[in-house]
Amino acid sequence: MELMKRRESWNISYDHALGETASYFFAQVRDNAQIYGRRDPKSGRVLVPPRAFSDQTLEPTTEWVKVGPGGRIEAFTIVYEEFKTLPDPPYAFGYVLLDGADTAIGGFFRGIDLKDPAKAAQWLKIGTRVMTRFKDERKGSVLDFWFELEKGGDNAKSVEGEPVGGYE
Amino acid sequence: MKATQIGICGVAIHAPQRSDSRSLEESIYAVTWAALRDAAYDIDDVQGIVVAGNDELDGRAISIMMASGSVGGVDRDILSTPSSAEHAFVLGALRIASGQFDNQLVVGWSPVEVDSFNDALKIGTDPYWHRALPQDELATHGLQASVLEDKVPGIRKTAAAIVRKNRTHGAIAYPDRPLGPVEEAFIASGRPTRWPLTDTMVTAPGYGLVAMVLASEDTIARRKSTNVAWIRGMGWATEPGFIGDRDLSKLPSLEAACKQAYEAAGVKNPGTAFDVAEVADGTPYHELLAYEGLGLCKREAWNEFVASGTPAKGGKLPVNLSGGALSFNPVFCAGLVRIAEAANQVRGRAGAHQQPDAKRAVAHAASGPAMHYNTVVVMDGGKP
Amino acid sequence: MRAPRVGIIGIGQSEFKAKRDDANYPELVREGVTRALNDCKRELKDMEAVVYSLAPDALLGIGNAERLGVDAVGARNKRFMRINTGGATGISSVITGWTHIAAGVCDLVLVAGADKVGESGDSQTILNKIWDPMYERALPLGTITMLAMSAVRAMDKYGLTEEDMARVTVKARANAARNPKAHLRKTVTIDDVMQSRYISWPIKLLDACPQSSGGAAIVLASEKYIKENKLDAVWIRGVGHCSESYYMGDRMGNKIMADHADAHALGQSFLRSYKMAGITDPRNEVHVAELYAPFSNTEYHSIEASGVCGMGESMALMREGHFDIGGKIPVNPSGGTLCTNAIAVSALVRAAEIALQVWGRAGDHQVKGARVGIASGNGGDHQFFGTMVIES
Repeated sequence: MELMKRRESWNISYDHALGETASYFFAQVRDNAQIYGRRDPKSGRVLVPPRAFSDQTLEPTTEWVKVGPGGRIEAFTIVYEEFKTLPDPPYAFGYVLLDGADTAIGGFFRGIDLKDPAKAAQWLKIGTRVMTRFKDERKGSVLDFWFELEKGGDNAKSVEGEPVGGYE
Repeated sequence: MKATQIGICGVAIHAPQRSDSRSLEESIYAVTWAALRDAAYDIDDVQGIVVAGNDELDGRAISIMMASGSVGGVDRDILSTPSSAEHAFVLGALRIASGQFDNQLVVGWSPVEVDSFNDALKIGTDPYWHRALPQDELATHGLQASVLEDKVPGIRKTAAAIVRKNRTHGAIAYPDRPLGPVEEAFIASGRPTRWPLTDTMVTAPGYGLVAMVLASEDTIARRKSTNVAWIRGMGWATEPGFIGDRDLSKLPSLEAACKQAYEAAGVKNPGTAFDVAEVADGTPYHELLAYEGLGLCKREAWNEFVASGTPAKGGKLPVNLSGGALSFNPVFCAGLVRIAEAANQVRGRAGAHQQPDAKRAVAHAASGPAMHYNTVVVMDGGKP
Repeated sequence: MRAPRVGIIGIGQSEFKAKRDDANYPELVREGVTRALNDCKRELKDMEAVVYSLAPDALLGIGNAERLGVDAVGARNKRFMRINTGGATGISSVITGWTHIAAGVCDLVLVAGADKVGESGDSQTILNKIWDPMYERALPLGTITMLAMSAVRAMDKYGLTEEDMARVTVKARANAARNPKAHLRKTVTIDDVMQSRYISWPIKLLDACPQSSGGAAIVLASEKYIKENKLDAVWIRGVGHCSESYYMGDRMGNKIMADHADAHALGQSFLRSYKMAGITDPRNEVHVAELYAPFSNTEYHSIEASGVCGMGESMALMREGHFDIGGKIPVNPSGGTLCTNAIAVSALVRAAEIALQVWGRAGDHQVKGARVGIASGNGGDHQFFGTMVIES
């Protein structure tokens, strides 16, 4: 007896309205290579990426606050497995608390040799200082920027004197 | 339902005209606050939340994830019923009846960000036998209409009259919203879209959001909430999944849901029990099936019932004074809107389309291919 | 709140496998249902309502797939609704079934579902789409990367090591070897886990759950029905949910309410369940736990959230065998989500397994003398949590 299968693909497209808050954020990234957060008045937290309201207090956010370009790593991972429509491995990404922000924003970490996971994990450990880098040609997306280890910071020296770099 | 009476004490129905100035989540936030303010609640008063959105329409693989922030889900007890928006209402009421919660916030939405509604909703057709066919949701409504036309002579004209009736209501209720053709001649001369449905007999998807605050009798008394719609009976049931397994001219799940609701509410003569009704009308044939399923009018008398003006404004039992989905069609939450509109009637908060002295209402919501899910809620605005 | 007594009278599960090419989706649902009905000697027609457990449509490739399952669960013309709280769906569904009966609407409720995760081709790609299109979907986020980052923070905060993580997998596989329903049943050593390839640092292949296919169902009944029909049952004594911010970056940084290293909202959910159940000292009152943990590291913060030990203490206790079958509080004696993950029903299976435990029906993976058990489910980006307390 023959067991059959049917191949189906979902192919649906959407135009998602970003709203004013996210639109402003991306316009600033695109036009001024600047990242902004927004302050929740009740808790005082500067939310990055910015939102029109805080989901914790359910209050509208108020002022725009420039954040970065320096920051610290709050979380990271290094991906060694291939997944459809996701980038070719290996790559590192995670969350960075930019200077002036109270919440962390996601982004890729570049300029790090990822061949040895244990070493790479040391370079990327939580608390490491990073700098935001922007593309020359920006479209207004989170891929317009990424993070690199800050030169001259505590973690700038690589483990065992090996060069920092080799990726990309 | 148990002894505890449950009331709807806050309602908000939004139909944003421009869908690009706010993100979906920001719009959900807005309708949430609107309902809270209508109930004179702060978000900290809310004990539990049930939401409903459709992943394929929203373009998010788990729609509740981002939406939960908008409705105050952080640190609260929140669930989602993606089967239909009206199921969120049902579950919200059950959660209070169980005694676990004193109140619930219920929110549903239906955006228009997807390129093609037909493609998005066609994903709901099974890949095993039917997806290769052009069977999107509208096609199933067409199939249902064709079966009804075969069984009941003369209903095409009645169907057109229902479209005209509901849009006439819609023009009064929400004059700021865009409206399809109202003139009989225009309605009758539409292009067939899914025969026998014409493009004039249905309404293109609109962007809608709806939120309600429900609370127990004790909570309402303690907070001295006003303008309450008491839920007297609630019923819900489903048809089987394959269209071919159904007799599309009948709706046994509506009968079952109605029986549950009417028994709980003690409704014996539906024809005279209600002052106003809000029923499913994704197509006018839905409304006809609703008349029968709710015990308002059997099919043999459909033509006469509509021609007599009984279900029109000014008639003995106005149906869809809000304009129904034939006026404004937020596809996924259209059913929840029917419940909200009926609630507003007995709360005395229906504004331009308020039925004077509306004390008792019945709401009927239907969702999915050819009215797959049916939900009935009987409400009144008296004392608990 | 006076908690009405709602009992579990029947349980059914498939033997979970990678692929079930012999059955389509509704047939898998029916498999779980048939077993649960046989377990309590009831018929489909006896069920008065159905709660359908189904997480993202995208994993099945069918929109509102619950509609196709209507006949599989015998729900024609009956009360029927579907629940989706991501990975927590299964437990949210059982809790919703509880709600139906506690509300006095009916006496018998069937909670059922199934998943064919392997059929989606690549679940991480789909699970990437759960992130918002505004800010985060462009990033290669998936459930694995998200929870890898939780591990990284736990390493920083508590000194979690990769070996600690491996230890969880070793325990899980040893337990699954004793559970004929589990998917991955081959035992492994710490070395095996440490040698397996990295998927998303520090999560390695053997730290991660499989993609499983299968169905599961539970039949719930009111105390009245159970007494009138002289049925055997175990009891749901507490239920609860809680949820965190969707934004992972908000679980880091300054003035945080919940740290991504932990499972704060899971802790809150347990507190709600314990309150209803009258449990004040989980360390001593809980005998067994089935905690939703699809990656080895996540078992630790789930254990701590359940309050059976303090924050940061679980790793040392794990080393001592505290959570083994035979230890003080066995965790995931079934092998857990780490060995079997049919997403739509994984959290339902947690509840089912605890029911079996306190019922004394867990066979080779029975925890001796277990009378009070807890179950949990996680969903979204570590966002939605549901918990239950079940007692004999």
